Amino acid sequence: MIVSVILWFLAILLAPFFAAVILKVKAFFGGKKGPPLLIHYYTMIKLFQKGSVYSTSSTFIFKLGPVVSLCTAAMALMFLPVAGYRPLLSFHGDVIFILYLLGLGRFFTIAAAMDTASPFEGMGAAREAYFSIICEATFFMILILFFKLTGSLSLADYLSGSGPLGLWQTAGSPLLFVIIAFFIVLLSENSRVPVDDPATHLELTMIHEVMVLDHSGPDFGFIELGAYCKLFFYSAIVSRLLAPLNPGNPVLTGCLFIAALLVVYAAVGVTESVMARYKMDKVPKFILTSFVLAFFATVITLEFLK
Amino acid sequence: MIHLVDIVLSLVLLSILLSFGSSRLPVLIRVIGFQGVVVSSVPLFMGHDLSAFGIAFSLATLSIRGIIIPLSIYLAIKKVAIRQEVEPIYGHHASMLAWLGLIVAAAFISGKFNLPAINNHPLLMPTAIALLAGGMFLLMGHRNAIAMVLGYIMMENGIYLVGTTFSTSTRHIVEFGILLDVLAGVMIMAVILQNIKQQFDDVDTSLLRTLKE
Repeated sequence: MIVSVILWFLAILLAPFFAAVILKVKAFFGGKKGPPLLIHYYTMIKLFQKGSVYSTSSTFIFKLGPVVSLCTAAMALMFLPVAGYRPLLSFHGDVIFILYLLGLGRFFTIAAAMDTASPFEGMGAAREAYFSIICEATFFMILILFFKLTGSLSLADYLSGSGPLGLWQTAGSPLLFVIIAFFIVLLSENSRVPVDDPATHLELTMIHEVMVLDHSGPDFGFIELGAYCKLFFYSAIVSRLLAPLNPGNPVLTGCLFIAALLVVYAAVGVTESVMARYKMDKVPKFILTSFVLAFFATVITLEFLK
Repeated sequence: MIHLVDIVLSLVLLSILLSFGSSRLPVLIRVIGFQGVVVSSVPLFMGHDLSAFGIAFSLATLSIRGIIIPLSIYLAIKKVAIRQEVEPIYGHHASMLAWLGLIVAAAFISGKFNLPAINNHPLLMPTAIALLAGGMFLLMGHRNAIAMVLGYIMMENGIYLVGTTFSTSTRHIVEFGILLDVLAGVMIMAVILQNIKQQFDDVDTSLLRTLKE
């Protein structure tokens, strides 16, 4: 129990650090030195020292948005078995709970964006809502496959103990497609290139960034921290599926987990460096591909299990 | 348990998905070439007939299917300088849905066959059926003559898989027959393509309707 609490805190604390790895990788590809690895902590400290500015036309929903989005992301981390250890909370059916927890966070971000009554933010909100619907389909397809393989509906059973090892033994190559599908979900849910560009300031192309334009100071800090937690959550799942190793030794397990995480974050960085942002009408096709891959993996796995 | 064959076959299934999703001719040709390589390496992985002659034969098939035919089509489109975009008559989402339906149907149908010879390769029959139907889908969905040729090659890949499945002993005869078929087909189509191109400046087969006696 104590270990789970410590790991949960560590996950939240380290999430901004890992996000900076992406920036380093991108800088490497651009032939630049890049910002320091602690850049997000500096930004966060700077943001928390500032005050917030609220428009007179906005209501309490606007103030609620950042807090809820951070809380839901942090809560989702409670269900995540970090490095294969038992998570803080776990019950039958928690995967669906997590999915809607993240959905709640998204809903409040969207509601806060709509609350500003800026048509521009409404546009970003509409895009965010649309793309996440397709992601949800992928997520559920993967859940169906995992449920079929393990007979369980809890994230802890998929990712801790002998879970992922078991998945590899029964599913094998289809699991590779699942990992690719999940990676695509990661890219689109966390608004990375090629779905959205987190660094863009070209107004018409933004999705996530445009919704939080009006937030400032600590509120914006909450949103950023929530986004890092969410990215950590998805990356941890992918890395755990990728390297389901449990050597037994806690130090070795931790090191392996961090190494796999770094690989996933570096993969995000490489994707951002070598790909351009997709045109808006191509994005649904891209996300739909992840659904098709997950469905494909499910069908051929069922074929094997027969 | 998962065999190497099944991994290779899932790559074949994936190549059908890619061929449905791609909208540029060079990409489509590359996908079909990849498919040819993978399909013709299946007998090697299955471990049937691993004599020197068998392996040499498989490698020859692989080079014809995977390299020579795609390369000659590629050179042909370079030479006649046609438009590289192919617009299928179905949309992207519809083709994805069709692919999924195809896989499910193929898996369902192959379950009904229950052939003892291939029971330890559960993906073999679904892949073969999916290739046949997928090739048909490409043939139907495109008006560009080269894309139709590629659909035809995909169907032949499916027939090849069926052939290797059913006849482990007379495999070479099946392969020879199919290879001759494909080569002759591609050659004839190349000639016809050249003619269509000369006549209409494009390879859209719907233009052929304007022909009168």
